[in-house]
Amino acid sequence: MTDRDMIVCRCEEVTYGELVDTAGQFACNSRELKLRTRAGMGYCGGRTCRSLVDAIALAATERDVTQITLKYQPPVRPVHFGDLGAIPND
Amino acid sequence: MTERILDHPVLGVLEPDQTVTFTFNGMKYEGRCGEPIAAALLAAGIRTLRHHEESGTPRGIYCNIGHCFECRVEVDGHQGVRACLTPVREGMVINGGGALPSPVRDWRKDNA
Repeated sequence: MTDRDMIVCRCEEVTYGELVDTAGQFACNSRELKLRTRAGMGYCGGRTCRSLVDAIALAATERDVTQITLKYQPPVRPVHFGDLGAIPND
Repeated sequence: MTERILDHPVLGVLEPDQTVTFTFNGMKYEGRCGEPIAAALLAAGIRTLRHHEESGTPRGIYCNIGHCFECRVEVDGHQGVRACLTPVREGMVINGGGALPSPVRDWRKDNA
């Protein structure tokens, strides 16, 4: 179990090695790293790995203040689509 | 035999409480009324609450304070119910999620 195999994003099972490679290969900022690896897109809404993905991206590229960092996306808790207005098909 | 701590050096003896029976993945279990589902299952020796939707790896309690959703199970037809926060009730039907048929990420290998 090397550092590279350590799971950073548990919901999407993205490993540390994957993040570092992607960030290095494409010189991603944090949002791009999230888009490329899905780290931070999981069920928990990035709560666990958000800052780690930011840190890894920042290690790879200079901080670009015009880019927003990863933030909590609404809804703050997962909402089932059915609750938003499912049309019962009975 | 139960994993439950019945005589805690600090908390003292665990008073017997009304027990409720519920089913998890089709099997009947018993728990103390009102304790979290995750705790009731843990006391019955069940640690795997669900399997990852993509890779099928076993998942269970992680944060245990309702923050990480690792313990989400389906309770009486409602999905995404957090087992660590939901008190167990008599006759609850609980199912753990499994790997889903259609993969989300397979495309990533081609254009990662």
